[in-house]
Amino acid sequence: MANKKSLHIESSGQLCIYCGACVGICPLNCIYLDETRITFDEKVCTRCEICVKACPVGAIEID
Amino acid sequence: MAADLKTDVLVIGGGPAGSMTAKWAAQAGASVLMIEKRQEIGSPVRCGEGMSKDWLHDVGIKPGRWVNLEVEGARIYSPSEKVFEINEKHAGNEVGYVVERVEFDKQLAIDAANAGVEVRLKTAATGILKENGKVVGAKVKQFGTTFDVRAKVTIGADGFESQVGRWAGISTNIAIRDMDTCLQYRMTNVDSDSRYCDFYLGKVAPGGYVWVFPKGDGLANVGIGVQVSQVQSMAEARNYLDAWIAAHPGYAKGKKIDMVGGGVSISAPLKQTVTDGFMLVGDAARMIDPLTGGGIANGCIAGKICGTVAAEAAQTGDTSKAFLDKYEKGWRARLEEKLYRNWLAKEKLTTLSDATFDKIIDALAGVRLEKLNVHNILKAVHEKYPEVTKEFEAFL
Ligand SMILES: Cc1cc2nc3c(=O)[nH]c(=O)nc-3n(C[C@H](O)[C@H](O)[C@H](O)COP(=O)(O)OP(=O)(O)OC[C@H]3O[C@@H](n4cnc5c(N)ncnc54)[C@H](O)[C@@H]3O)c2cc1C
Repeated sequence: MANKKSLHIESSGQLCIYCGACVGICPLNCIYLDETRITFDEKVCTRCEICVKACPVGAIEID
Repeated sequence: MAADLKTDVLVIGGGPAGSMTAKWAAQAGASVLMIEKRQEIGSPVRCGEGMSKDWLHDVGIKPGRWVNLEVEGARIYSPSEKVFEINEKHAGNEVGYVVERVEFDKQLAIDAANAGVEVRLKTAATGILKENGKVVGAKVKQFGTTFDVRAKVTIGADGFESQVGRWAGISTNIAIRDMDTCLQYRMTNVDSDSRYCDFYLGKVAPGGYVWVFPKGDGLANVGIGVQVSQVQSMAEARNYLDAWIAAHPGYAKGKKIDMVGGGVSISAPLKQTVTDGFMLVGDAARMIDPLTGGGIANGCIAGKICGTVAAEAAQTGDTSKAFLDKYEKGWRARLEEKLYRNWLAKEKLTTLSDATFDKIIDALAGVRLEKLNVHNILKAVHEKYPEVTKEFEAFL
């Protein structure tokens, strides 16, 4: 996709509490949780924004 | 590059479901490796720490120092805070004991280790090994080193994240109306009552509830689950929880000493939980009770069956889906009917208005039910508010 929106997961610890809620709901299974880091597969992610809603603390943003 | 490993049974995830599965498989004579990606079993906690207790004996768990306190029952609060009390025996799978989850999870891992299970921490599965369509183990990373673990039977017990099953080819995807986004504070200096687990329904927590599970001496777990399909903006779980606390002086004066979050599935049971060489158990198999959000009991109950079948499969050498179906049938016989019934009830309850919740709780508060079941509840509501029970005709 040429102009995908950008998705940002704030997992440096300022907002993210590493709970894994985004990982379990991602319909494409493209978010990963290490103990203290969350990453996602930029190429697979379609910016469906479900993880944004599922995050209890608002650590995921799309713009 | 570390040497590859071989085992009869590989359990991925060291939560309650994983430890139970591992223990029962080892007790039945299998060699078992349980891997856990965290550095500490049970921590950080993702749990309100409430559980029923009638199932513990059946699966071989003895109450120990992980029991925090015993409650008499649950109090269900309507939006205008009318209260309905339920005795602990009838109050669902989150009411009975309040526990220390870190201690509980560690005890189950100790029981597994003592039964002969090899436990490896800081060890994450990063993929599944397949040969001719059959799962034959997992790709694993430990302390930065990657290697293969080859197993006769591989078990996904990786909790809500539920990635391992999807790697193995089982869909564990759930709809957003079948998930609660949760946040909880442990608070001190609050007015919780150590005799009850409290649940607050209605718009304070759209599609979910606020819970207060007492830990004694003015300490309590105060948390919230909000149905994801009803979330309107970012950080909604936190915003609703903070608003609820601010509106309740007995809690607003409290102090937060920790914060945990997580996802809870409130879905109907999955269509499939086994495939060739592979089984799913616990939250990974979406076994949480969709009405209460409690998942510890169901994960442990299924874990016992899963471990027993895994050992049998490894010993007979038949690890086909057809053989592992024994587990599928076993856990469904024990849990499925209730899971499905409670999912239907959840589907209904998440659509009710505050006014309807008020009427239901008001009608129930005034009567003493001999036996708590859907029929008796609806009968009591019908006598006071016949218009409300119309919405529930499907349940009669
Ligand atoms: C906020 C909240 C409150 C809750 N309150 C209650 C309650 O009061 N009562 C109740 O009964 N239930 C409650 N639940 C649900 C309960 O916590 C779960 O049902 C229970 O923990 C399920 O156990 P499990 O073993 O299936 O999964 P988990 O306990 O989640 O264990 C899974 C383990 O697998 C590990 N793992 C994940 N991926 C990998 C990988 N790739 N490799 C290696 N290891 C991996 C994880 O680190 C984790 O330790 C709550 C849940 C939440 C989020």
